[in-house]
Amino acid sequence: MTKLLEWLLGVSLVLAAWAVVSFDLLELRLPQSYREAAWPMPLYLLVSFGCYSLGTVGYRVATFNDCDEASAELLGQIQEAKQDLRKKGLKI
Amino acid sequence: MATGVDQAVGMSLVVFSLLLFTYYSVWVIILPFMDSDHILHTYFLPREYSVILPGIAAVILLLCIGAFTAVIMWKNRKPKKVD
Repeated sequence: MTKLLEWLLGVSLVLAAWAVVSFDLLELRLPQSYREAAWPMPLYLLVSFGCYSLGTVGYRVATFNDCDEASAELLGQIQEAKQDLRKKGLKI
Repeated sequence: MATGVDQAVGMSLVVFSLLLFTYYSVWVIILPFMDSDHILHTYFLPREYSVILPGIAAVILLLCIGAFTAVIMWKNRKPKKVD
């Protein structure tokens, strides 16, 4: 069985379980509060995925490694290279 | 480590996403199990809005992406050369 088929099977199982609970397809007659909590589940999962993505992006922006020394070193090397090339006749 | 504005923006994004997640979780999952006269209900809008508001947010997001793309494409248009 390919990965695509496995994923489709898993997704359809979850979707079927959700539909059974939300729309009472098997006449299980669960308490109303369970049905009320279950039916927005797909939207809730989408919103929580969005929150997780936003939080991860924000966290990685805040903890980004700036490497100040490497930046200064690189600028120095650029200056050195420019001087060297000017001496050899290239116009910069 | 990123400094100054970067850190402030990053941390505020993290805090905002945590607050949003907590509020939405309580709204969708915990409120149905509370009695209708529990004080917690006064802090939350009626349940229909828990579906309508993310829908509106998604529409606004798509509008922003479309507008941004349109502006960029408009700026990059080149007039056809006449030979």
